[in-house]
Amino acid sequence: MGDSNNKPQFDILVDAHAAEIYRYLWRMLQNEQDAEDCLQEAFLKAYLAYDRLDGTANYRAWLYRIAGNTARTRLRSKLRTGILLSEDLADPGLPVEQQAQNQQLLEAVKNAIAALPNKQREALILRKYQELSYEEISAILDTSVEGARANVYQGLRKLRTQFERADSLAVPNLAEENSEVGQ
Amino acid sequence: MTDTIEESLDTIYGTPPVGTEALGRLQQSVQEWQNAIWYDALRDSPVGPLFVAVGNQGVVAIEFGTDETGFVRELEARHGVTTIRSMGRVSEAMSQILQYLSGDRRSFELDVDLRDSTDFQRKVLEAAVTVPPGYVATYGEIAVRIGNPKSSRAVGQALARNPIPIVVPCHRVVAADGSMTGYSGAGGIETKAHLLRLEGATIA
Repeated sequence: MGDSNNKPQFDILVDAHAAEIYRYLWRMLQNEQDAEDCLQEAFLKAYLAYDRLDGTANYRAWLYRIAGNTARTRLRSKLRTGILLSEDLADPGLPVEQQAQNQQLLEAVKNAIAALPNKQREALILRKYQELSYEEISAILDTSVEGARANVYQGLRKLRTQFERADSLAVPNLAEENSEVGQ
Repeated sequence: MTDTIEESLDTIYGTPPVGTEALGRLQQSVQEWQNAIWYDALRDSPVGPLFVAVGNQGVVAIEFGTDETGFVRELEARHGVTTIRSMGRVSEAMSQILQYLSGDRRSFELDVDLRDSTDFQRKVLEAAVTVPPGYVATYGEIAVRIGNPKSSRAVGQALARNPIPIVVPCHRVVAADGSMTGYSGAGGIETKAHLLRLEGATIA
């Protein structure tokens, strides 16, 4: 299959893109088992649809799109059943107290990311970590190029605003320390 | 504080696992899919429950009046590969067969894969495909066509084991006196007569 319309063999697509799609799924799902399950599911869907895919399609964006849909469905069903496990990101090299603080902050950031609209969160991952172009992101998320850019920007801005506000509570302390040093 | 966010994002997203094992298992699955046989079923077709299976070279099996477990068991025994139920891969074959059964199609544009048949069976089945819709040939005529005029009995046996009835039209092959001596598909001779009538053949 896949030899009509000068399309590459399906295996070639797998070799070329499976690793980055796996990373994308892991970033979306924050769990290795879910990432692997969705990887299999997404590539099976792609395999089944490959014969009908237009030979001029952007294969990479197409795979990302299928993977994104698969991950979203999984996230929804996990939210419904209330099992959303994320792997522990604590750095064992740090003192316990700092680990706990970092962990708290990370949990807060994760919650903030989870509260972003899907497109903003996904655009952020696609741009910043999957390092895709805005053209590709727009094809994957079904937006204009400007829309893709705006989603990345708005997502980041929301996170920053939220945590700047949290940080501003700590500013007086910092100021006091600084003024003490100054005196 | 921008750095806090950047650092947290990097901690959360920056170091995904390499996933060597997951990727290895995907490669294995892709290989299985490429060799797999895909099938689908239609519970209430005009000939009863209809099962169609397609491999990467074409249609490998059609069966009706059976059940899914039996169909899958036989497919796996015959071909020794994974079978996967999928509407997508089978839909073209299935829809052509349904068009045929409802009288909206006379011939098929489908590849068939007769790899698991013997050379003799394959010759017989390929000869049966050359009998046009609405016409019949006798077992003896098929035997002549395959260059083995004394083999009409063996021709009958090969047709009885036709893995792709309807598309490989074994129903168009009849006894020397024109009578319908047998049909391996569900419904037996009645189905055979039904298919011939569908094609506009006059049944005595």
